[in-house]
Amino acid sequence: MIASRRFVRWLRALGAEIGERIRGRPALGESIDTDVDAYLNLLTDEKIAAGLPPVAARRAALVELGGRSVVREAVRDARATAAFRPLAQDLRYAVRVAARTPGLSAAVVVAMALGIGATSATFSAVDAVLVRPLPYADADRLVVLLHRGTDPVSPANFLDWRRSATSFEAMGAAEYWSPNLRGDGSPERILALHVTPEVLRMLGVPPAIGRLPATGPDGAREIVIADGLWRRRFAADPGVVGRAVQLDADPLVIVGVMPATFHFAPFWATKAEIWGGFDLAPRAASRGGQSLRIFAKLKPGVTLARAQAEMAGITAALEAQYPGTNRDVSVTPLKDKVVGDVRATLLVLFGAVACVLLIACANVAHLLLARASTREREFAVRCAIGASRTRVVRQLLTESVTLSLAGGAAGVLLAFGGVHVFTALGATSVPRLQTMTLDGRVLIFATSLAVLTGLLFGIAPARALARISVSDGLRCEDRGSTSARTSRGARRLLIASQVALALVLLVGAGLLLRSFVALRAVDPGFSPDRLASFVVSVSGSAESAPGRRGTFYDELIARLRSIPGVASVAAINHMPLVGDIWGFPYFVEGRPAPRPGEGPTATFRVVSAGYFETMGIGMASGRTLASTDRDGSPPVIVVNESLARGAWPGESALGKRLRVPAGPDLRDQVWRTVVGVSRNTVRGDLHDTPEPELFIPLEQNQAYRAEGDSHFEAMTIVVRTTAAPAVVAPSLRAAVRGLAPDVPISDVFDMRHVVDEAADGARFTLVLLCSFAGVALALAALGIAGVMSHDVASRRREIGIRLALGASPPHVARTVAREGLTAAVVGLGVGLAAAAALRGVVTSLLFGVTPFDGPTLWAATAGLMVVAALSCGWPAYRASRRSPARELR
Amino acid sequence: MTESQPPGAAVLPGSLDVLILQALRLESRHGLGIARRIEQMTQGAFAVKAGSLFPALYRLERAGLVTSRAGESETRRHARFYTLTAEGRRRLRDDASTWRRLVGALAHALDPLS
Repeated sequence: MIASRRFVRWLRALGAEIGERIRGRPALGESIDTDVDAYLNLLTDEKIAAGLPPVAARRAALVELGGRSVVREAVRDARATAAFRPLAQDLRYAVRVAARTPGLSAAVVVAMALGIGATSATFSAVDAVLVRPLPYADADRLVVLLHRGTDPVSPANFLDWRRSATSFEAMGAAEYWSPNLRGDGSPERILALHVTPEVLRMLGVPPAIGRLPATGPDGAREIVIADGLWRRRFAADPGVVGRAVQLDADPLVIVGVMPATFHFAPFWATKAEIWGGFDLAPRAASRGGQSLRIFAKLKPGVTLARAQAEMAGITAALEAQYPGTNRDVSVTPLKDKVVGDVRATLLVLFGAVACVLLIACANVAHLLLARASTREREFAVRCAIGASRTRVVRQLLTESVTLSLAGGAAGVLLAFGGVHVFTALGATSVPRLQTMTLDGRVLIFATSLAVLTGLLFGIAPARALARISVSDGLRCEDRGSTSARTSRGARRLLIASQVALALVLLVGAGLLLRSFVALRAVDPGFSPDRLASFVVSVSGSAESAPGRRGTFYDELIARLRSIPGVASVAAINHMPLVGDIWGFPYFVEGRPAPRPGEGPTATFRVVSAGYFETMGIGMASGRTLASTDRDGSPPVIVVNESLARGAWPGESALGKRLRVPAGPDLRDQVWRTVVGVSRNTVRGDLHDTPEPELFIPLEQNQAYRAEGDSHFEAMTIVVRTTAAPAVVAPSLRAAVRGLAPDVPISDVFDMRHVVDEAADGARFTLVLLCSFAGVALALAALGIAGVMSHDVASRRREIGIRLALGASPPHVARTVAREGLTAAVVGLGVGLAAAAALRGVVTSLLFGVTPFDGPTLWAATAGLMVVAALSCGWPAYRASRRSPARELR
Repeated sequence: MTESQPPGAAVLPGSLDVLILQALRLESRHGLGIARRIEQMTQGAFAVKAGSLFPALYRLERAGLVTSRAGESETRRHARFYTLTAEGRRRLRDDASTWRRLVGALAHALDPLS
C-alpha cells in the first residue's frame, strides 16, 4: 500500500520533472541571478537608508551576501537534490547498467525501435487511409450509387431515382469530361468533371475565392477551378473570377477557385481540375448511355440499410418498366468506395506489423528476464544492506523504461523514415496515402507503447525478484537458481511463439512474392518494349470541323511515320491499360435478338490499319486490318479470341457476321464480317481475366472520322520506336505541333513503364510485408540465439561437469540445442496452423497462387527451421568447445 | 569573526524551513524581507544568509509550501515575493508543535547544567 503510494508519488515527480524539461523552464542561472540581484539591491537600499554613501553601501551589501556564485551553486545543489535526487540516481545507475552490457542493451533498443518504428509507420498509414474521415462535410453520410458497385448510370435512371428516393438529403450526378483549355499559351487537355449543382454543395467545401456554379440553368455555363490549375494557368490571379475562358468551343465563366486541399471525386477522376455545371435535359430520356456517377447524402438519421432497401424498391419498379436498365444498383458509402480495395491490404500489413511488435516485445521481455536473473545476487546484496524492496523494484523499472524509451525514440526516427517509404511506395496505388504524416497522435501511440512494454516487462523480472528471499539470492550460484528453473518454461514459450509469429509472416510474404512474380509474368498480349503512346484531342480546334478529322488522323500518322527512330504508327480510340473501357452490345448473325440489356457485350475498340502490327499483337487466325478496309469497301471486323470462343464455340469465327454500333449512342449499326481473330490482351488491370473485345477499322467509322460529339474527338496514337520512347518523344511532339498547333498532346507514355506500374499496387504490399517478414526473421533469430546463449550461460557448470566426465562435445552440443529446437518445432506447428487459420485474410491479395501454396509453405518452414537450428546450434557449439577446467573453476 | 559580520549566529540546523514559514505567516515577503523578519522574530539571535535562504526557498516552493510571484518592493525595486500556501500553513502548524516539543525536551534535558 505505502510502497505503491510512494511509487505513484515518484511517478508524479518523474512526470513533473520531464514536463518541466519539455516545457523548458528559464535557464537556472538566469532566474537565480534575478533573485539575487533583487536581494542585493534591497540590501543596498537598506544600508543607504542607514546612512552609508551609495558606493560603500553597495560594497557592504556584496560582502554580506557572500558572493553571487556561492548562492547560485547552493541553489543548484538544492535543485539537484530535491525531488530529482532518487530519479537522477536511478537514471544514472540505469545508464551505467545499460553501458555495462552494451550488446544486450543495444539488442533491446534495436528490437524496440524496429517494433515501434514499424508499428508507428503502419499506424500512420492506416490512420491516414482508413480512419480519418474524407475531407468533406458530414463525410460519413455521403454515398455513391452505381450499378454493381462500379458501373455508371444513365441520365434517365438518375433523374427517376432523384425524383422518387426519400432517404437522401441530396442526390447529384458527375460525368467525366476532358476539355481542351485554350487561351494564353499552348492548348492544354484538362481532366474535369461535369457535375449537377447538388454535388459540390453536398460536399460542403466552400470555394477559396468566388462561389459555386449557380443552381439554375445559368450554372451550365459556369465552372470552378482547382487551386493547382489557377496557379499554373492563371498565375494565381484573384481577378480570374468572372472571366470567361475557352473550353473546347465553348466560352465558360470561372465563378470560383477551390481551396488547395479540395479533391473530387476521391475514387475516380481524382486529378480533376475543373468542375463545371451541365445540362442533362437533352439526355433526360436516355437509358442507354451510362456515363454518370451518382453521389448522394443520406438524411440525418437515415441508415444505409434503409436507403439500400428504398433504392432496391425503386429500381425493381423501374426494371419492370424498362427491362435491363436498373440491375444491381448498389448504395455504397463513399469512404468504402474510396478505400475498399486497400482495406484488406492495410489490415494485413497492420496484422503483420503487430506480429513484428509481439516478436520484439518477446525479445525484450526475455532479454530483461535474462538480465534480471543474472543479477539476483546483486539485488540480494542490495536488500541485505538495507535497500527496500520497492527501491529495488523501482530501480528495475527505471532501467527497463529507460531502455524502452531509448528504443521508442529510435523507433520514432525509424517511423519518420517509414512514412517516406510508405508514401513513395504507395503514392499511385493507395488512395489518400499522400495525406499521411507522422502526427502527434502517432507519437503518443509509439511512446505509450514504449513505456507500456518497458513497464510490462520490467514488472515481470521485478516480480520474480520480489519472490526470492535474500538468503536464497545470496546462496545460489548459477546452478539451479530459482528463477532459472521457473523461467525454463518461459524460455520455451518465447522461442515457440517467436518462431510461430515469424512463420506466419514468412508464409504471407512468400505468398505475396509468388503473386507478384505471377503478376509480373502476365503477358499483356502486346509487346510493351519501345512502344510509346500519347493522346491527341482535336476537340475545339480547327481539325474538329466536319470532314477534317479523318484527314487529320491520316496526315498525322503519315507524318509521324517519317520521323527517324519510328518504325510504325497506328491509332486507337482507347488504349489497353491506360484508356477508357466502353462495353457495347453486339449481335451475332443467325441468333435471336436478345432483350435490351441482356445480350452479350464486348469492349469497343476503333483502330487504324497497322494497329496489331504496331502493338505486336499476334493473330490466332485470319488477317489484320489493312489500309484497303476503307469507307466503301465491305465492312469488316477483327475480334479477340475471348469473343470468338464465346460467340462461336468450337467453330472458326472467320467469315461470320456481327452487327455492332459505331458509337455509344448505338446508332449506325451495320453487319460486319469477321476477317481475323487476335490474341487476347490485358484490358484495365493485369489480373483481370480476358474479356470479349472487338476492333472496327477507323477508316470505316464515320462517327470517329467526321461526325459525332466530343466523345470521338480524341485518339491515342501508338508508336513503335527503334530507339527508347523518351528519345523519340520530342520529335513526336514537334510533329503534332507542326501539323496542328492548336491540337494539344498528352504526356508521351513509355508502355514498358505503364505495364510495370500496373503491377505496382502489389509491390506496395509486397515490399512492406517482405520487410516486416525480414525484420521478424532477424528478430526471431536474435531472440532464439539470445535465449539459448543465456541458457548456456546459466548451465555452465552442468556443461563443464558433463565434459569433465567424458561426454563428447557433439553430444553436449546436441543436448544443449535439443531444448531450443524442440520448442522451435512446436512453434513451426503452431505457426502453420495459424497460417492456415488466417488464409482467408490474404486470399483477396493473392494472384495466381492459392493460400495453401506448397512451395511457399515448404520454403518458409524450411527456411525458418534452418534459422532456428543455427540460432540454437551456435551457442550450443560454443558451449561444447569450452574447457571444462575453466568452467568448473 | 570580523566586524563586517552581521550580528547573530547561524540558524539552528533544520529549523530554517519552519522559520521561513513562520516569517511568511502574516504576509508575503521578498527574500531580504524574510531574512530581516527572521532576525526580528528571533531578536537577532539567528541571521539568515542568502546562500542558505535561496536554496531553502527553492525547496519549499518545489514542495508546494510557498509560491512566488514577481513584484515591487516599497523602495520600488523589482523583487520576487513569496507567499504561504494552504499546504505550507498546515506544515507550519505541524512543524511548530514538533519543534516546540523538541525544544522543550532539550531545554528540560539541559536545565540542570545552568
